[in-house]
Amino acid sequence: MKRKLINLLRFTQADRQGVATLAHRHIYILPTRYGVFFGVLLATMLLGSMNYANNLGFMTTFLLAGLGLVAMLHTYRNQIGLKIARGRAEAVFAGQAASFEVQIKNLRKGPRPGIQVQTGKTVLAATDLEPQQTQVVRLGKPAEKRGELPLGRIVVSTYFPLGLFRTWSYVELDFHCLVYPAPAPEVEIPTAPSYASSHSGDKGVGTDDFQGLRQYRPGDSPRHIDWKALARERGLLTRQFGGDRADQLWLDWSALPDQDVETRLSLLCRCVLTVSERQQTYGMRLPGLEIPLGRGAAHQGRCLEALARFEVRHGG
Amino acid sequence: MGAKRLDRGILLSTIIMVSLAVAPHVTHVNPWISAFYFVLAGLRLLALWRPRVLPGRFVLLLLTAAGLANVIAHHRLLIGRNAGVALLVSMLGLKLLESRGPRDLFVSVFLGYFLIVTQFLYSQSIGLAAYLAVIVVGLTAILVELSKARPSANPLWPLRRAGALLAQAVPLMLVLFVLFPRLSGPLWNLDMDSSSGVTGLTDRLSVGSVSNLSQSRAVAFRVEFGSHVPDYIQRYWRGPVFWTTDGKNWSAAAEPVGSKNPMSPGFSASGDEIAYTVTLEPTGQRWIFALDLPSRTPVWSNLTPDFQLLAATPVNQEIRYRATSYPEYNTGALSEDDRHRALQLPDNISPRMTALVKHWQGSDARATAVVGQALDYFRSKPFVYTLQPPVLGDNPTDEFLFETRRGFCEHYATSFTLLMRLAGIPTRVVAGYQGGEHNPHGDYYIVRQSDAHAWSEVWLQNRGWVRVDPTSAVAPERIERPFGVQDSGPGAPISFELRDPGIIRDLFRQAGFATDALNMAWRRWVLDYDNERQGYLLELLGLDFVRDYALGVTAVLISGFMLLLVAAGLWGKTHTKADPVERQYRRFCHRLARRGLRRRSYEGPRDFADRVVGNHPDLKPAVKQIVELYISLRYGPPTDRYRRNIQTLRNRISRFRP
Repeated sequence: MKRKLINLLRFTQADRQGVATLAHRHIYILPTRYGVFFGVLLATMLLGSMNYANNLGFMTTFLLAGLGLVAMLHTYRNQIGLKIARGRAEAVFAGQAASFEVQIKNLRKGPRPGIQVQTGKTVLAATDLEPQQTQVVRLGKPAEKRGELPLGRIVVSTYFPLGLFRTWSYVELDFHCLVYPAPAPEVEIPTAPSYASSHSGDKGVGTDDFQGLRQYRPGDSPRHIDWKALARERGLLTRQFGGDRADQLWLDWSALPDQDVETRLSLLCRCVLTVSERQQTYGMRLPGLEIPLGRGAAHQGRCLEALARFEVRHGG
Repeated sequence: MGAKRLDRGILLSTIIMVSLAVAPHVTHVNPWISAFYFVLAGLRLLALWRPRVLPGRFVLLLLTAAGLANVIAHHRLLIGRNAGVALLVSMLGLKLLESRGPRDLFVSVFLGYFLIVTQFLYSQSIGLAAYLAVIVVGLTAILVELSKARPSANPLWPLRRAGALLAQAVPLMLVLFVLFPRLSGPLWNLDMDSSSGVTGLTDRLSVGSVSNLSQSRAVAFRVEFGSHVPDYIQRYWRGPVFWTTDGKNWSAAAEPVGSKNPMSPGFSASGDEIAYTVTLEPTGQRWIFALDLPSRTPVWSNLTPDFQLLAATPVNQEIRYRATSYPEYNTGALSEDDRHRALQLPDNISPRMTALVKHWQGSDARATAVVGQALDYFRSKPFVYTLQPPVLGDNPTDEFLFETRRGFCEHYATSFTLLMRLAGIPTRVVAGYQGGEHNPHGDYYIVRQSDAHAWSEVWLQNRGWVRVDPTSAVAPERIERPFGVQDSGPGAPISFELRDPGIIRDLFRQAGFATDALNMAWRRWVLDYDNERQGYLLELLGLDFVRDYALGVTAVLISGFMLLLVAAGLWGKTHTKADPVERQYRRFCHRLARRGLRRRSYEGPRDFADRVVGNHPDLKPAVKQIVELYISLRYGPPTDRYRRNIQTLRNRISRFRP
């Protein structure tokens, strides 16, 4: 219910570049509980000054009242024109905490101290912005399900300079963090290595079996130079090896035992991690999707992303 | 405002600032209360380096109970100004001690603000106001620091910020101060404080118990004279008359005492009758005031044989009455009953006092001679007139006469009266007001609570009751001219005698005049600003049709307007003015955009120009000229012709119509 009410309130939407500018239509301001206490105190001071007809009492009271009003303007000004931009959000595995990097930009020639960012009730980050400075705050959010985790609506607020008033804005950055499936605890690689001979051949790219000799080309490892042949004055020859096909794996959805989707995905996730660690070349087959053989961090990322997005509706 | 941890710096500054705010109260708060505060504040200070000394929850509870007991022990009823201040000071100590989070510091600072207002109930001197203004900046700086995310690297930064905020608040303060509707009397009357030293009249004189007489600038009454205005020195406004004493307290009977007929045999009065109208503020007492010696008085009042003028009921609202008085008079004979009462002596007459009087009588036993000797005694011995005399013990008169010799009118009048009674001269103490300040804007006189005075009356054969003011022997200026001297500190003498015309003294004198003028201006424009001055000022501004609640509305409207001005000032700073070259370039881009050639955010001037020329070769010469000039102005080295070139750029862009 409360959630719904909050959704009815005005919020600042990020533009296409992912930058939200806090304009006055989107800034709310209310006294804090300290502000209310301060007000009660001022009323008491006023009554006392009136009763004792004490002009310096009046002056102090009015000075503090003026201070409160001026502070209201300053709090508002501290917030207005602030730019909030999405930064990076490294993909995480489900069950971990996603970390959203939010940039807070102060384009003004004056500082903006005491800027707070929060998602719910708890303040997640607070920072003081120097003139024309951009600061990055990291907002943690538990990633429970694989897929895309939205940061959701964040609240940017400040009660600088006196803590008597608080301004805040709801900001929707349209910011998502990719969540991979949680890797299964450990698993036997379920897919049989593909020993099918490759038609294109793999001559000279492996390291296991001797294949033959060819003319030396610059860049060949000296360890592979056939020194004996050189001694026999047959010229500079390079020995060639092959047979790495045994390390080519296909991680195949259909090769997994018949289980529910999430379990299979988390098994595959574990496989991807294990196989990558072993520096093996692998590919992955999911229903309707095949990721060709490859290796390296980018390849791993592609595979994990495929697992994360598998049969997830966008924004689901 | 989550559970942020406090660093040592902010805690330290809060303890210091709050203690500085408490400091001036030390002079008028009971020492036990001050001690309680400073012990707790000291403990908190120690805990900054040794956190183990911080008390636990239980000890804190005990301390709170102790603090409350401490306050109640000294202010039984917990009502009134002094009790409030004592409570506030104790609370502040406890709050500091238990400070752990920002919330505690916020509360401490707010209580500090409140404490500052209470200071002004005791003194409204310029010095104190300036000191407290500095404290307000300090306290505000703590709020600034608390609302930041991290402690400031430069400790001056929050102070500067607080100063700027307060400076912006000053115009609002002035508007509200000038326009806020003022009342002519208090909202409520707490008699609790009247016995503890506000200048004002009560039915009791307690000599020596008051150690700090605060000078309330509140108006006691206002007087409009008829054709003849008596001299300042003659304006003794008669109030309660005190006959009986127990050696420490003097009490006045509100009911008529003495013979039933006010006009004793032999009564005569001479001189021009003085006519006047008095507007008396509520007092809660029955006394109304008239000049010595009242003749024609309001019908609803009762003139007692000792010439106290009593209203039928206590004066609880402003009243206005006409009266006349004779400046010269002879009250005639003294009844046996009155003589007996006017010679009553307390038990605590010391041998020194008796010896002193005997010594005077030895040289000349006539009553007038003894009176003169007594006045001489006050004049020649080092007596000092001060509003902050030391507290006196069980025998205040003896102590005052021979030891402390510091006091104000009550001390002089009561001790003089006792000495005269010892000499067998019937004497009584009269309290009232003396003087009154002319208000040039309304041609009337204002008599304030600070004009309250006490003097003696001796009965002399053939002359009746004669007024003798022993205070004038010590501080003639107190009587002869408007009393405009501010006490400089606890127990500091107010010196009126500057006979030696040395250069240094002369300098001091000049400085004294300058200070007096400053104080006068301060009093005139700040302290005495009341509903009358307000009316006068509004009249001057042509706003005199604004009254009562309309005044409040005006105050709010004008403050709103001032606030808008501040906002506008802040706004100007928000939108930084673009550099003139940049502004011209934007104009150029705007013109192209109208043609559908929108500069992309990643495009520099040259790339954009290339794209424009690529699409519209006809624009090439103009675009090239403008962009080259723009680049040289914006990124090139500064030249002498900078301004002229900007003008050229502006002209070219004006002529550029794609």
